[in-house]
Amino acid sequence: MRRLFVATSIVAFAATANSAPAPKLTQAQHDATHAMFEHVINTPTVIGRHNVPAMAQYVADQFKAGGFPEADIHVLPYHTGSATTGEDDTAALIVRWRAAGSPKARPIMLMGHMDVVEAKREDSTTDPFVMTERDGYYYGRGAIDMKDGIVGITQAMINLRAAGFKPKRDIVVLFTGDEETNGIGAKKGATEWIDLLGHPEYGLNADGGGGGFNADGSPAGFTMQSAEKTYAGYTFTVRNRGGHSSKPRKDNAIYDLMHALEKLEAYRFEPRMGETTKAYFQGREKQEKGPLGDAMRRWLANPNDGEAADFIEASESEVGLTRTRCVPTRLFAGHADNALPQLATALVNCRIFPGTDPNDIKAELEKIVANPAVVVTRNDDQVASLSSPLRPDITNAYTNAVRALHPGMPVFPEMSTGATDGRPFRVSGVPIYGTSGGWVVVPVDFRAHGKDERIPVQSLYDNVVHWELMLRDLAGK
Amino acid sequence: MKRVFAFVLAAALSTTAFAATDPRTVPTQLSAPWQAKTRALFKQVIEIPSVHHRGETQKVAEALAAQFRAAGIPDADIHMMPYEALEGDNTTALIVRWRSPHATKKPMLVLGHMDVVEAKREDWKYDPFVFREQDGYFWGRGASDMKNGDVATTMAAVKLMSQGFKPDRDIIFFYSGDEETRGVGATLGSTKWRNLTEAEFGLNADGGGASYDRNFRPLGFGISMAEKTFQTYFLTTHNPGGHSSRPRPDNAIYELADALKAVQAHRFQPMQNDITRGYFEERSRQEGDSPLGQQIRAWLANPNDGAAADAIEANPLEVGLTRTRCVATMLKGGHADNALPQSATATVNCRIFPGVQPKDVQAELQAAVGPKVEIVPDPAYIGVPTPASTPRADVVNAVKAAALRFHGKDMHVFPVMSTGASDGSFFRAQGIPVYDVDGSWGISPDDERAHGLDERIPVRAMYDDVLHWEMIFKSLAG
Repeated sequence: MRRLFVATSIVAFAATANSAPAPKLTQAQHDATHAMFEHVINTPTVIGRHNVPAMAQYVADQFKAGGFPEADIHVLPYHTGSATTGEDDTAALIVRWRAAGSPKARPIMLMGHMDVVEAKREDSTTDPFVMTERDGYYYGRGAIDMKDGIVGITQAMINLRAAGFKPKRDIVVLFTGDEETNGIGAKKGATEWIDLLGHPEYGLNADGGGGGFNADGSPAGFTMQSAEKTYAGYTFTVRNRGGHSSKPRKDNAIYDLMHALEKLEAYRFEPRMGETTKAYFQGREKQEKGPLGDAMRRWLANPNDGEAADFIEASESEVGLTRTRCVPTRLFAGHADNALPQLATALVNCRIFPGTDPNDIKAELEKIVANPAVVVTRNDDQVASLSSPLRPDITNAYTNAVRALHPGMPVFPEMSTGATDGRPFRVSGVPIYGTSGGWVVVPVDFRAHGKDERIPVQSLYDNVVHWELMLRDLAGK
Repeated sequence: MKRVFAFVLAAALSTTAFAATDPRTVPTQLSAPWQAKTRALFKQVIEIPSVHHRGETQKVAEALAAQFRAAGIPDADIHMMPYEALEGDNTTALIVRWRSPHATKKPMLVLGHMDVVEAKREDWKYDPFVFREQDGYFWGRGASDMKNGDVATTMAAVKLMSQGFKPDRDIIFFYSGDEETRGVGATLGSTKWRNLTEAEFGLNADGGGASYDRNFRPLGFGISMAEKTFQTYFLTTHNPGGHSSRPRPDNAIYELADALKAVQAHRFQPMQNDITRGYFEERSRQEGDSPLGQQIRAWLANPNDGAAADAIEANPLEVGLTRTRCVATMLKGGHADNALPQSATATVNCRIFPGVQPKDVQAELQAAVGPKVEIVPDPAYIGVPTPASTPRADVVNAVKAAALRFHGKDMHVFPVMSTGASDGSFFRAQGIPVYDVDGSWGISPDDERAHGLDERIPVRAMYDDVLHWEMIFKSLAG
């Protein structure tokens, strides 16, 4: 759903300093990457346009052409839809590259999504569904979210196979078709397709992590996403007898709702620190010399220092990283301008700290509101997202791959405040790590979901090499 | 748009034990055949969901027209007047002229409206558009606002015609189709269609009426002669918005919440006029030495006694009678569940004391909520302050005679200021005085459900209202 790059310059992972120089793509590999990227960018995989199955088939064909056996390539059509997103017949792609000999461990899953957010021709400088190369960039919807990752993984596997690489464990690809809307593909992946996926030990998600350079060319850092907050929606509902607006009553559904929201505005959830965010702030404090850094140091020294956590949370760069956050996003009330409201509702969107049960947040919201007239209900059945443990093998592989391409680059962990396809897997016990090798110039290239989405040309090719390095490291030993 | 009972409570009406009869159990004086006709027409019109944009109001007009036609009114005097109310809301007015064969006076206008406020099945105990008789009540949307008045005025006329009654002035029935929204019908009726509606004065069935408290003590029969000005304002906050995973310190919904808190806390300046003084004098007499009675007397003695006015206004019986009132009625904000709102809008409905300009109320609201909130008056309806109508002895006496017959001598008749706005305001503004004199009644506050849930009217109140209007017509046109 998003690609967050954190603009910092610190070294949080002390990786083993064994980065070898990165391999270079051959001209043929370069051209194949370009052709595949152009083809998929030019396929508008927006919900409702029915193009995801065609893209899945195209990517499947690339694997076939790369020598992967047809029996291990599965295009899986499925339906996605909801009241707010519309409907579509979409598809997922699963490809299994079997280990040579008996596998030394359970499979590594490589994840991505093939669908993109809508982009309108009239809102864009160039046609968002015609890949355009200009000024050192490739422009097009999905350029960084995340057709670059689809191409990166696919081309890397094709290259490795051509080079005679023999994985010591299965590598299994899961590309979904509705991450930007309903996430049904990921849910199926974690449940009904889990046998087909071979019960992976962990997943590497190309839709997370990644890096950035500052406009002056200095490195801003790479992050590896190892935790994500749980997205959960709640509704506050107030009912009232209503009546004629010429005779205002003392109790009023709108005023009751507004008072509840004012309490929510004033409320601060308990600060929390997890393994990922602790490592993140340990890195961040080294960079921040001023009051923000002081607050981070105080909080790291004393996790019960709520005031320090509040100070950090109030900083624009750290919003959402110290705790659960809830914010009202929509209001509906009343039925006529001359009638007292019988019903007033607010939708409250929460991003819940990993590990916290959304039902507990519901109970907490009820306590905050402290008015039985305001009824709190859940809008979905999400369960608590879990953090994935920071494993040395993965953090080292990621750090080494990043530094092979970008020597000296700072790398550190990240908790995403948004939601990705990784969530249902984390919930079911499969750790997921956002380990993209893509990079952009910060902040001007932060255009996922936005206008004129683009990726630096070199970043597309670096990402292919990045995935080759990751797989050689994690599946080759 | 109104139908608010004159007042409630009056706990200290009498210090002696009051052995009152439940007025709902008193037999109606309407004969059985006319009860049946009245009930059939009431059922027919209640079950037409004449809510704006549903295109159903025409059917109510046809049902009423059919009654007049059957009673002998020629087609030439029955006018269907289609018009567009809200954008895309095609409705109709019905104008019927009952001619006098020997008119000696200028015509008299009888006003009503055929549209009703929206009602949702899931909010109600019963289907609001299925007529129901239960527990001594008729239930349904429009039962008290005001298909009862449409039925009572029509049936009274039809009944008189069947008896051979000949009025000594033309009686013009004007039923509009959008009183609950923008009053375009009344605007047209008082201007463009004036050749069909020209009259000496108007009697509005959308107001007036008697009430009883829960101990069945009569609370009075109010004739509305003045009304507050109706004006809706939209209060909007704007924000750059953003992704909801990263809440900003400023938020359109929170800022709107602050603004509404200010609106809720704001109190406008207390005011009096001749009509409200007449009303409060009657109330003071009723209340005796109760705290409310003392407060009313203190305020009448000293109109600058703001504390007394505030105490009166806080009484559920007197809400809206001492000053301008504004209340939040609708909310809308945000555009996606996972995005910070870029705007949030509250609808604030004001009932402005006669004589106060809506633009001054807007300025006062702006001062209360601060400069960050944008306030605009609803462009679809710009309220125009209207004068109070001068009390007429013939109207008041006709109502007094009817009130005595149906409620006894303890039911006092006196002037009131309506806190709602009705079609009458448009005719008042165009020089036709209007008096709200409907004869229906209810138990206050339990039966005050206009625009609200489970709207209802006592069965007897419906039936006796036919006789009430019969008396009024005979008295003022006989």
